Amino acid sequence: MKKLITGNEAIAYGALRAGVKAVTGYPGTPSTGCLSSLLAMNLVDTYVEWSVNEKVALEVAAGVAWSGHRALCTMKMSGLNVAYDSLISVAYSGCDGGLVVYVADDPGANAGMCEQDSRSFAVMADMPMLEPATVAETYALTKFAFDLSERIKGPVFLRLVTGIADSYAEVEIEQPVPVSQAAPLLIKDIQRFTKAGSVIATNQHRDLIQRLEQAGQITDEVRLNKLSLSSRPGGLGILASGIAAAYLEEGFEAAAPFGFNREDVSTLEIKVVHPFPAAEARKMLEHCQTILILEELEPLIERGIIVEAQRMGYRGKITGKLDGVFSRIGEYGVPQVVQGIESVLRLGIPENLLSGNTQALKLAAARPITVCAGCPHRGTYIAIDKAIKKLRLKKNEVMVTGDIGCTILGMNPPFDLIWTEISMGASVSLAQGYVHAGVKTPVIATIGDSTFFHAGIAGLVNAIQHQIDLTLVIMDNRWTAMTGMQVNPGTPCNNGASAYQEIDIARIIPALGIEHFWMVDPFDVEETAGVIHQAMTLPGVKVVLARQECAIQAQRQGKQAGKVHVVEENCNLCKLCLMVTGCSAFSLGANAIEIDPELCYGCGVCIETCHHDALVAEEA
Amino acid sequence: MKYDIFFAGVGGQGILTIGEVLAEVAHYKDIPANFYPSKGMAQRGGFVKAQLRLGRENVGPNIPQRGADMVIAMEQSESLKAIPFIKPGGDFVLYSDIWAPTAVALGKAPYPAFAQITEQVKLAGARLVHIAPGQLPEYAGELVHANLYVLGVIMGQTVLGTLIRSEDVEHIIQTRFKRNTEANSFAYRSGLGMPLVVS
Repeated sequence: MKKLITGNEAIAYGALRAGVKAVTGYPGTPSTGCLSSLLAMNLVDTYVEWSVNEKVALEVAAGVAWSGHRALCTMKMSGLNVAYDSLISVAYSGCDGGLVVYVADDPGANAGMCEQDSRSFAVMADMPMLEPATVAETYALTKFAFDLSERIKGPVFLRLVTGIADSYAEVEIEQPVPVSQAAPLLIKDIQRFTKAGSVIATNQHRDLIQRLEQAGQITDEVRLNKLSLSSRPGGLGILASGIAAAYLEEGFEAAAPFGFNREDVSTLEIKVVHPFPAAEARKMLEHCQTILILEELEPLIERGIIVEAQRMGYRGKITGKLDGVFSRIGEYGVPQVVQGIESVLRLGIPENLLSGNTQALKLAAARPITVCAGCPHRGTYIAIDKAIKKLRLKKNEVMVTGDIGCTILGMNPPFDLIWTEISMGASVSLAQGYVHAGVKTPVIATIGDSTFFHAGIAGLVNAIQHQIDLTLVIMDNRWTAMTGMQVNPGTPCNNGASAYQEIDIARIIPALGIEHFWMVDPFDVEETAGVIHQAMTLPGVKVVLARQECAIQAQRQGKQAGKVHVVEENCNLCKLCLMVTGCSAFSLGANAIEIDPELCYGCGVCIETCHHDALVAEEA
Repeated sequence: MKYDIFFAGVGGQGILTIGEVLAEVAHYKDIPANFYPSKGMAQRGGFVKAQLRLGRENVGPNIPQRGADMVIAMEQSESLKAIPFIKPGGDFVLYSDIWAPTAVALGKAPYPAFAQITEQVKLAGARLVHIAPGQLPEYAGELVHANLYVLGVIMGQTVLGTLIRSEDVEHIIQTRFKRNTEANSFAYRSGLGMPLVVS
């Protein structure tokens, strides 16, 4: 059946066609849609979970694969960094059931993270990595990845970039293969499944390298990479890796009016980004006078072919990033194909052929991302700001570390409150460093609920053990919100998801031996500010749990916190409410501020910002 | 046929829905398509863009600059972000809704005037199809959904209307949205310039 699906869903359907037994992962844009689509299917024979973090997700998946069953583990590039500690070990041990690790990279930082090139992780782990050029290829490669994993008896990477992960295209979907109900293998083999002792580790390393070589032989045999040599030797050869290959034909069309002849060009479309397809690359080097490499981010393929060229004594020209033609930043597309052709063939293609007028962009109004109308974090930001003022300090005198997720939005106007963002859970540990460095003013760390469970808890344990003077504000909106509302260990159970045990942060904190702990409602800004102010004056580790459900999610369940009404005759349009809250439910009317009733959640945070009693709470 | 559409707007306008409907029409009519919506980290009110590429097998998701046959923009300032992508001679459809960022509402930051947009569209050599928010008709006392009205205008007044059939678009609208089917049809047909046929 032909279906219109995303690249993320293509992996999900491919895994089902491979009879996957378990799927684990942690939300992370742009990878999230894969696991969430499987969760939405309410599968009976395939176990699907959002794990607490990527390292745990990988370990769960590895256990399934070590028992002889097929497992898929999904994450974004930053998540792979978290999982990597275990991944090296799992790669050393290999696996019996197919284990596929899906990682999504984001060239161009469309999803606003970093341009990490996870292909280098495949090199470091000696793991094969497959990368499709289109959504349709994604489905086929996913099925193949499971087979490859079982043939080499080792885990296999599948890498997508945002442009494929989030793109919809038509894919021919087959019926899922029934999930194996075979008894799990219980293999007791410390030579394979432990790392103790140099003999064990070095033997595993040898096996690992052999598995990678075998993967290269298999992918060569099935001709996974697409090699097309021109009829006449001596011309141009283009190596295009992953998504870059999808722009070749279009680039050729654009260059054709300038005398470019597609028939004179050899191409190698690379789907196996690791191990380097040396045999096919050598054929290109033997056949072509000039080599052009199109790959986003790091010059990985380029380095590979330069090594082969050196070994062969190649005398032609190799063009890519290392000779300065292309950038290591941003996405590739048709312009790069054309630019590359022009740089080696000098056809006289005008530079502005595919560049529009970017002057227009400068006229556009800045639109900094901010919290939604009704977001509980708004109250927390305003409360921290008030607490700082109560101590007669200025915002630029108090370090407030931030963390990953919606909670970081306090870095932007109108709050301008949060100073830092590193990685999941880093706010708590980074804050400790500032204290050790001798910062005299109170240090505050902020973190969301999912981020706290993911990795923040270890930082908190460290702060407690070493008795650091800091205030941790946990902004608990009950959901993993920024990635599109996934459940986490603290999400209340009555949300339609299958049964699980909810873990209450309000019970964890006292159990860690923290003396100064408060739970507050961030919609009550005065109380929240008072508590944070008090916390900042006390020694040791203090924790403030600001708990209120994400307004988007609450509204989807038909909840409404209240209703705020504008008393028009009291409003003098001073805009203070808008200035303090930046709430998108406000707009400027002719005589008074206006509130969009569709957007207003009735949190009431704006009410006390008004000095003229123009904003009043209504009974809901 | 090869036809590329670049979308720009803000979250909450339903602009991505226009792209989804058109992608489904392509799927329904066996036209190769790649639809790449891009929401960034934004919830309601943040910049969203999307790219729909019709008629090419194995196509990359990104339209090159000066490559879009049509731009569909639903927010005045955000429409500027589509200017580099419009092909000379292409259709630049602008629904000139204004979602002022907070700094603009507070008078702390500038916001581009409508004349500045039209000047940029002209410089790019594109044809402006302007839809004013005040143009939206009411159905049963409520303003219709802007996105479906805009989709109607597009099908009635741009090249796309000659490449895919309006009946197919309406069929997808009706199968996709189970609720308010009559209001949706009215919105679409009003944009198309067709009167509502009450069955």
